[in-house]
Amino acid sequence: MTEMILQAAQQTLLDPMVWCVVIGSAIYGIFIGAMPGLSATMGVALFVPLTFWLDPLPALAGIVTMVACAIFAGDIPTTLVRMPGTPASAAYADDAYALSRRGEARTTLGVMLWFSVTGGLFGAVVLMLLGNQLAKMAGWFSVSEYFWLYLMGLSCAVIVGGSSIPRSLLGLLIGMMFSTVGLSAVHSQARFTFGQPELFQGINFIPAMIGLFGLSEVLRGAAGRLNGGEPQPTEASGAILPPAIQLFSRRFRAWLRSSTIGALVGILPGAGADIASWVSGAVSKRRSKQPENYGNGSTECIADACAANSASLAGAWIPALVFGIPGDSVTAIVIGVLYMKNLKPGPEIFEAQGVLVFSLYIVFILANLVMLPIGLLAIRAGGWVMRIPRSVLLPIILLLCIVGSFAASGSLFDVALMAAFGLIGLVCERYKISIGAMVLGMILGGPLEERFVQTLAGSGGSPLALVNRPVAALLAIICFGVWLSVAVSSFRKSRLSATSIGLPIERS
Amino acid sequence: MDANSFHHFSPRQRYRGRSHVSLNFGCWISITCVIVLSLGCTRSTDFPSRPIAIICPWSAGGGTDRVARQMAVELEAELGVPVNVINATGGGGVTGHTRGAQARGDGYTLSMITVELSMLHWRGLTNLTHRDFAPLQLLNRDAAALFVRGDSQYQSLDDLRDAIADAPKRLKASGTAYGGIWHIAVAGWLDSQSLAADDATWISINGAGPSIQELLAGGVDFICCSLPEADAVVAGGQVRCLGVMADSRIRGFEKVPTFIEQGHRWSIAGWRGLAAPSDTPKERIDLLGGAIDKITRGETFQSFMASSGFDMSLENAGQFAETLERQDELFGNILTQPAFQSVSGEQFGPMMFPIMIAVGIAIVSCLVAREVLSDYHDHGMENRQDTAGEEPFFPGRSLGVLFALVFYWFVSEPLGFILSAILILGGLLVLFRVPRVTAMVVAITASVVTYQVFAILLRVPLPRGFLEW
Repeated sequence: MTEMILQAAQQTLLDPMVWCVVIGSAIYGIFIGAMPGLSATMGVALFVPLTFWLDPLPALAGIVTMVACAIFAGDIPTTLVRMPGTPASAAYADDAYALSRRGEARTTLGVMLWFSVTGGLFGAVVLMLLGNQLAKMAGWFSVSEYFWLYLMGLSCAVIVGGSSIPRSLLGLLIGMMFSTVGLSAVHSQARFTFGQPELFQGINFIPAMIGLFGLSEVLRGAAGRLNGGEPQPTEASGAILPPAIQLFSRRFRAWLRSSTIGALVGILPGAGADIASWVSGAVSKRRSKQPENYGNGSTECIADACAANSASLAGAWIPALVFGIPGDSVTAIVIGVLYMKNLKPGPEIFEAQGVLVFSLYIVFILANLVMLPIGLLAIRAGGWVMRIPRSVLLPIILLLCIVGSFAASGSLFDVALMAAFGLIGLVCERYKISIGAMVLGMILGGPLEERFVQTLAGSGGSPLALVNRPVAALLAIICFGVWLSVAVSSFRKSRLSATSIGLPIERS
Repeated sequence: MDANSFHHFSPRQRYRGRSHVSLNFGCWISITCVIVLSLGCTRSTDFPSRPIAIICPWSAGGGTDRVARQMAVELEAELGVPVNVINATGGGGVTGHTRGAQARGDGYTLSMITVELSMLHWRGLTNLTHRDFAPLQLLNRDAAALFVRGDSQYQSLDDLRDAIADAPKRLKASGTAYGGIWHIAVAGWLDSQSLAADDATWISINGAGPSIQELLAGGVDFICCSLPEADAVVAGGQVRCLGVMADSRIRGFEKVPTFIEQGHRWSIAGWRGLAAPSDTPKERIDLLGGAIDKITRGETFQSFMASSGFDMSLENAGQFAETLERQDELFGNILTQPAFQSVSGEQFGPMMFPIMIAVGIAIVSCLVAREVLSDYHDHGMENRQDTAGEEPFFPGRSLGVLFALVFYWFVSEPLGFILSAILILGGLLVLFRVPRVTAMVVAITASVVTYQVFAILLRVPLPRGFLEW
């Protein structure tokens, strides 16, 4: 065992090729993640043909590093111009942008970087110590368990986002409604397509997200004063990391909680960084002493969600390595690469390829460590964006919105979709309907419906099938508990405000 | 050089504001731009002289995508122009196949076509058939195989068939969405055993991975997918393969018996191939076909296919066309059966979920409307004062942004990305009162840099326009 670890460390850390690939793909990953519309999956898919000429370890190292960096880098445009680079960042986009408008962009990005790095390291350690055992968890999850898991993720979005429960819920439901457009995955029948072939593919959430967040901000910004006036994101000089490290030592237990949530969610195939991010944000809000800050510039929410989404990344490799079942689209590519290198995933990979697996663990740690300096450089580079006058920045953001929404599937239709969602975003903002929840509704609405219909179809229509397995019942109880506590607390709040009519009420 | 000319014009411009000079100035700029942009832009009539796109109807990372990307890399080396893969996913393959068939037949857009092409039109999802494509080469076939859990009581195909025959609709199966290739494989097998196609309840789960997981979790009794997809769990002993629906044993999986060996006369396979739109000129088809043929015979591609577990099965354009014809007939026979005509699980039809959500939206909207109204009551007056006193409000500029988007929609295809981007950026910057010289410099730099980054570095197929640039 020790021998294997030593050998793995030697193979990894003494190989200049591994270092080159890790550093190169860290820069590439940061770049991909920071560009709106380009997902980590696309970055990895572009990288795959290169892996043909690489040894297995550098090839996997490149993918690991790229994904870790891309997930962090998605936070950079989220904070600076309110355009989430990845859906995982949508959970705290409003918080991050609010902080950035108060001139705290650098500190916020510092927090994101630090918590991403530490969360990622936590995930790597979990993978290392418990990977083989935790793989069994996937075997407990049938469609009914997933149904509750997705429902829990959606409920969390209602808790975290927005100014009031009904408004977040409305955003969520509208998002889910959009998710039903197109060919229904489970029935294989077209819905709401109005005979348009473009609508068959459904509403792609990447252009929708760019429109809801990015374009609506451009539209709003363009209508406002372009120079001075409204507070605009300003660049504060000063240290990036020290405040983050202070926060970390102050909130160590919260970090531990969030990273654990992230790692557990990550292990389940089909539940990735975005669910991790929302769930840990919601838990964080319920445990917080200042829940009113959430959605309004809460560093705590950002820290917890960042730790969770990075911690979930390593988890997705567990079902991929043990069962050959991809945990997300990136690990689907990883499985392909493994096969290409004649490494068959399966439980015996831990024995047959022990050294490689240990090297992979080391690479996970290495990737997160390399991310720290390169992320710092990226944050500094991001500072330049803040110096561009708003009147020049807005048109450039518009161009990036266009290209980013076009990039996902190379279709002009997605650009039109982005424009439409920009207007929807504007209307929602006017009535404070949570657009973050809408994005999650669009992502999880489809899977939720699939699991629901699959469970019912399997049981011949009996809704009991949703709760007649132990894990499903447990998840259902947790879900109902969450709803009950939310309902009680919002009822109390409304009682409170009803009794205090006539007194000045603080409203956001 | 162009930067100098801006400086020359700029001071006058600033002082005179909007006048006739600005028109001249605009003309000048546009002419300079066009000249600068067309420099070094050679329009050649040779084929191929610009990037080729391969449309993949399935998402990045899947089997089809991997084959497409490997093919793209090697085609690039063979033809000397960039070859990009576009994932036009969704709609069960309708989206990608439609885009591939409707693309301009100039040989610059190829498609990875998959077995779904022979199935979709029988299910009434599209009018597209294989006749909308000119086939180039069949690349591989993946035979269907049946899997049960390692601890399952079913030891052979006969066991499984008898169990299904004893209690129709009790056993649950999956592997893909309803009406997908693996579903049809199972239905066809049951049919060949004189059972009804829906005697095993099909649970519609997208993709082999989630289906395998469902099998492990005990949610379904057996699944159907290709051999490499379940290889890891078979090797680990969690899952057992009962047989493969092929005429002979598959290379790399020699231990797996075929259905025919077990006395079940049934074989079916998914396939992937390359094709171009049907109106592509013959000489370009021949040129592309030749290049693809050379690649598929090369060692790199063959070792890629072998190590990925894809069962390589090559057919040239002519043979591929015949195969497509036969496949169409085969799937027509299965999919027009009564078992497939009835909609699966009508009680949970496609509109159930949207209706549930619509009801939810209606209820929650009422709650939100109440909140909005009460906010208005509490703060209405203050808000109105706020907006009056605080900020200048220029809705015209937002309209300008929207107009820029509409403009881009119309001109990006004919003009190409760079020119349209320069026009909308320049227009907006001027609208936002940025000094014109800065506006021009920013517009040109930002557009060209964006193009370089996205189109060249990241391989996004941005529109190229009439300048072929």
